[in-house]
Amino acid sequence: MNVQLGDNVPPWTMAAVDAGRMRTMAAILRDPYPVHWDRTANERLGLGGRVINQGPLNLSYLVNMLHAWAGPGSVRRLTVAFARPVLDEDCVTARATVLALAEVGGERHATCEIWLDRDGEKVVTGTAVVAVG
Amino acid sequence: MTVTEHEMLALIGHRFPGGRYRVQHWENWLLTDCTGSEQLPDGLVHPIALFHAPILGSRTSITELFELGHASGAGSVGLESYDWEYLQPLKEEVDYDVEGGITEVERRTTPDGQIYDAVAFTIELFDDDHAVVARVTNRWRFRRPTA
Repeated sequence: MNVQLGDNVPPWTMAAVDAGRMRTMAAILRDPYPVHWDRTANERLGLGGRVINQGPLNLSYLVNMLHAWAGPGSVRRLTVAFARPVLDEDCVTARATVLALAEVGGERHATCEIWLDRDGEKVVTGTAVVAVG
Repeated sequence: MTVTEHEMLALIGHRFPGGRYRVQHWENWLLTDCTGSEQLPDGLVHPIALFHAPILGSRTSITELFELGHASGAGSVGLESYDWEYLQPLKEEVDYDVEGGITEVERRTTPDGQIYDAVAFTIELFDDDHAVVARVTNRWRFRRPTA
């Protein structure tokens, strides 16, 4: 895999975040927080009856981008901060740029700046370490 | 405010009971499907399983974490950050030992005067040789109502 400093990783888009998937996730996570599945609970939060995507799902779009680029099983570390909630029906795009390359334990690691973009706003930001060879 | 800073700081060092966790095939299939990804090859667990597998495997739960943090309803809890390390690939239908606890608590005030407690917990997954397979540190915000 030919990776260079400054490379942009091909983006990965979730065209419409789906409330049904949030409900399935809530069951898998045993997550009792109603903001993920009860529209009425969110009315007082000013969200217009929309539900909030789980943090792990927001992160998953970044992982899916990295998998499409470097292959499943390539992610070595994810460090992210959550800036803004993502709501159902939002369109978000995962993006990344290669910041550094290093040999670690017989692997070539790319450290990437990663972010989840919603209409030009970075709603999740961070770094990922990915095995690229 | 219903919980004092002193009460929250007392959570530092709290250990979860610990236990074992196995990501089952059906669970990984549904989890991966929720992400919009194709299913992964070779029994690989989708990396975002590092949210729930450590929590449930260490024998705590989101419900208990909310109680420990004195969450007070919709909008009172928010995510701040994750730091997840994968030292080995996670596989379906494999048992991992899981241990962890609360490592940091800090009361903060936002520029607009909102008070919240940042609570971090660190949990590790181990294989049968007690080698670390994965390590997560999650930091959540517990927002406090102001008068």
